[in-house]
Amino acid sequence: MIRVLIADDEGMIRSALAALLRLEGDIDVIAECSDGVQAVAEAERLLPDVCLLDLEMPGLDGVEVAEHLRRTVATRFVIVTRHARPGVLRRALAAGVSGFLPKSREAGEVAAVIRQVAAGGRYIDPEIAADALSDERCPLTNRELDVLRLGQHGETTAQIARSLNLAPGTVRNHISLVLTKLSVDTRQQAVIMARERGWI
Amino acid sequence: MSGTYSGGVTSETAHEPRSLPVRATSSGVRVTWWYTASAIMFFELVLVLTWAATVRAGGFEPLPAWAVLIGGLVWFGSTVPLILSYRHRTGEPTAVQWRIIVLPLLMAIGFGVFAFTVTGLWLLLVVPLAQTLQLLDWPRSVRLRMVLAVTALLVCLWIVDAHAVDDGALEISNGYFPVGFLSAGLPVMTVLSLWWWDVLIALDRARVSEARLAATQERLSVATDVHDLQGHHLQVIALQLELTERLLRADPDAALEQLKAARISVDEARQGTRDLATRFRSVPLRDELANARDLLRAAGIEAETVLGPDVDRAPASVFGPVIRETTTNVLRHSGGKHTTLRLNRSGELWRYEITNDADAAAPTIAGREGTGLDGLARRAEEVGGTLEIVRGEGNFTVVVTVPVQ
Repeated sequence: MIRVLIADDEGMIRSALAALLRLEGDIDVIAECSDGVQAVAEAERLLPDVCLLDLEMPGLDGVEVAEHLRRTVATRFVIVTRHARPGVLRRALAAGVSGFLPKSREAGEVAAVIRQVAAGGRYIDPEIAADALSDERCPLTNRELDVLRLGQHGETTAQIARSLNLAPGTVRNHISLVLTKLSVDTRQQAVIMARERGWI
Repeated sequence: MSGTYSGGVTSETAHEPRSLPVRATSSGVRVTWWYTASAIMFFELVLVLTWAATVRAGGFEPLPAWAVLIGGLVWFGSTVPLILSYRHRTGEPTAVQWRIIVLPLLMAIGFGVFAFTVTGLWLLLVVPLAQTLQLLDWPRSVRLRMVLAVTALLVCLWIVDAHAVDDGALEISNGYFPVGFLSAGLPVMTVLSLWWWDVLIALDRARVSEARLAATQERLSVATDVHDLQGHHLQVIALQLELTERLLRADPDAALEQLKAARISVDEARQGTRDLATRFRSVPLRDELANARDLLRAAGIEAETVLGPDVDRAPASVFGPVIRETTTNVLRHSGGKHTTLRLNRSGELWRYEITNDADAAAPTIAGREGTGLDGLARRAEEVGGTLEIVRGEGNFTVVVTVPVQ
C-alpha cells in the first residue's frame, strides 16, 4: 500500500480526490489537510510515502511545504495546481518535488503518477513543462532581484542598503535600472510585475 | 557550468538579461542621454574658460585669472553630480534631497561671491547660482518661469557690466560680448537640453505604454472568447446532467452514457480554454533553451546549452515543440546526470541535438514519449527535415535537422 497525504484548501476537491484515490487498490489516503501548516505537522507525525500538495494554499504553499519537509521526512512530493504560474516549476524542482501536474487530470492519472513517484520516478506534466519553457526570461540581474525582494514590503532604500551592505546610492541606481528595464514608474509596480512572473 | 567559448559558438550563463522589448531601444536612449549631459558640461567648461580668458585679457594680474579658472573648475565639478542625477528623475514630486543639493548650491554661491570680489563683474556673481538652480529637479512650469526670469536678470547684469566696461571702471575693453552672450545664454541652453531629454523619455515611455495597451486589448478580447466558450460548454454540461438526473431511475445505462458525455464536455471546455490562453504565447528559441537549461538544473541535472550565433533565425515553429518534448522527456526519466542542448547552423541545415547520459534502458522511452517523438518526426518531415534517435553506451541522443529556408 502507498500511504498518501493530501493537502488542498478546497474541501470539495480534496474529499472527492481522496475518495477516488481510495478506490484504487494500492493507495491509502492517510491524511487530508486543509492548509500547508497542517500538512507539515501531519506529515511529520504520520510519515506518508507520498504527499499530494495543492500549490495554492493559505499559510504555506505546496512548494514551501515540500521545502520544509524534505529535510525532516523521507517522503516524496507531488504538486497539483490549477494554474502554474511562471517560475513555479523551477522552484518546485529545486525543492525536490518529484511530480507536477495540473488539477484537471483525472483521478486515475493522478494515481498512476503517485505510483510512479513512489517507485522513485519523476513525472512532469507535458503541459506544465511546455508552459515553463515558454516563460518570459527575466531581464534583471541577481543583484537587482535582491533589491526588489528585500524591498517588496515597502522597506526604505536605506533599509535595503543595510541588508545588502551597499551604499544607498548604489541601491537607488539598481532601482532606477530595474524601473527602466521593466518600463514601470514605481518600485511597487516593479515588485508586482516580478511577483506575477515568478521572478521573486 | 559557466560559459565556454569554442569557435563561433557561445554557451551562455544563467540570467543573461534580455527579451523585454524595451531593451532594444534602451541603448539608443542611453547614448542620447550622454550626448545631452556632455553638451551641458561642455558648455559650462567653455564658459569657465572664457571667463578666465576674459579676466586675463581685461588687464588683471595673472593671479585673479587663475583664481577664476580654478574656482570655475571646482564649481563645474560640483554641477556634474546634479547633471548626472537628472537622468533618473521621475518627473513626479519628490522630497527635496538636501544632502545632494546643498553642497553644489553653496559652491555656486561661494564661487560667485569670490569671482565678483576678484573681478567686480556682476555676471560672474549670479551665473554660477543661476546655472546650478536650473539643474535641480523642478516641476516643468516652475523651471520655465525661473529660466525666463533668470535670463532677464542676466541680460540686465550684462548691460550693467558692459556699461562698467565702457565707463572704464573695468579694464576689459574687448571680448565682453562673447562672455556676456555665453553667460546669459547658459541657463536657457541648459533648460532646452533638459527639456529635450524629458521629451525623449516621455516618447520612450509612450511607446512602451502603447505596446502594453495593445497587449491589454488582446487580453480583453481573449477574456471575451473565454467567456463565450465557457458559457457554451457549461450550458451543454448542465443539459447533460439534467438528462442524467431524469434517466437515472428509468435507464441507468443511458444515464451512465450521459455522465461520460458530460465528462468529455468538461475536458473539451478545459482544453479550449487552454488553447485560448496559450494562443499568443511564444518566446525566442534562445529564451526557450535557456528556460530548458534552468529547469534541468533545478531538477539536479547538469545542463548546458551550446548555441550558434544566429539561432534567432532558426524556425521556431519546428524547434519549439522539439525542445519542449525532448526536455520534458529528460526531466521525466530522471536517470541522467548531464544533458547538453545544442542548436546551430551547419551549412544548409539547422541542427538541434540533445544528449543525455540517462540509461538507454530507461523504462519510459516507449509509450507516450515514443508517440511524442513520432509526432515530432512527422512534423520535421513536413518541412523536409529529419529526426534521428541515437542510443549509445549509456547515453541517449535526439538529433533534429531542418533545411535552411
